[in-house]
Amino acid sequence: MKTKLYAVLAVSVLMTSVALAHGDKKHVIGTLEKINADSVVVKTAAGKSVEVKLVASTMYVSHAGNEDKPAKVTDLAVGYRVVIHATPKGETLEANEVKFSAPTASAAAAKPKS
Amino acid sequence: MPRAGLRLLRSLTYKSVMSRGNAIFLVVVVVIVLIAVGAASILHNGLSAHANPTALEIMLARNARHLAIPANARKLQNPVAETQENLRDARLHFADHCAICHANDGSGDTMMGHNLYPKPPDMRKEETPNLADGELFWIIENGVRFTGMPAFGGEHGSQQDSWKLVRFIRHLPQLTDEERMEMERNNPKGPGDREEEQEENDFLGGAPIQQKPEGEHHH
Repeated sequence: MKTKLYAVLAVSVLMTSVALAHGDKKHVIGTLEKINADSVVVKTAAGKSVEVKLVASTMYVSHAGNEDKPAKVTDLAVGYRVVIHATPKGETLEANEVKFSAPTASAAAAKPKS
Repeated sequence: MPRAGLRLLRSLTYKSVMSRGNAIFLVVVVVIVLIAVGAASILHNGLSAHANPTALEIMLARNARHLAIPANARKLQNPVAETQENLRDARLHFADHCAICHANDGSGDTMMGHNLYPKPPDMRKEETPNLADGELFWIIENGVRFTGMPAFGGEHGSQQDSWKLVRFIRHLPQLTDEERMEMERNNPKGPGDREEEQEENDFLGGAPIQQKPEGEHHH
């Protein structure tokens, strides 16, 4: 009987437990430092390297001359400027959208020396 | 009847009464424990909209929604043709009125969507496509009680717009990147969002990087 009661208690606790959801998007802005098979590393203005996972649903948008065009992951290159809208998933960030542009000559010239 | 037989009959009846008694006792204990744990959980954690509904709540809510839609509404046929023009009207309408909760792609992956209770469904998946045109139309026009879904019907011309939206909901799984980007340009934005978007576009256009706390910001 005791065993039954413990089992009932355990099941009841499991049934009433709830998972909390958190859905804030994060924007990661900087230059592409590294492109891996399933992630990119972005160097932010603060000099921090942030890794963002690329998933099947990640959208790619090329920005040139104030115009946005759909793009592909293969269009990305190291040194490109990126604005990534990502969803935190545990300790990692998962990219919803990667918007990028090739560095302009003036921007390259204005790049701060490290 | 021999005494031994009588004794056996009494013993069997006693056992069956006892086992029925045990079963009733167990059910009562389960109910009391569930109520106690539920009450303790509510008292301790409250009833936050952050939580995900349990399977039981989802089942009850879906059945309640099914019952709330009149049988004749389900049989209605969409009078709006599936033309590029109608789909575009609906796309822009959806971007302006619906995407704040449902997201442009119908996934429900928005800040509002994540924090509603219940969460809006992923409209590209089984549950929504399985609804009849008439059911989708009725939901748009009348909303769903005890959820974040308002009733959009009642305004002049709204029925035509709602039927166009039904067409667009059916199109969601085939939404192209170009269509999604067009919708993004038509999403309602506050001054903060517009400023943020402008800063991001300026940065992509070659402007110096704006340093934000921790190099990231969010909304």
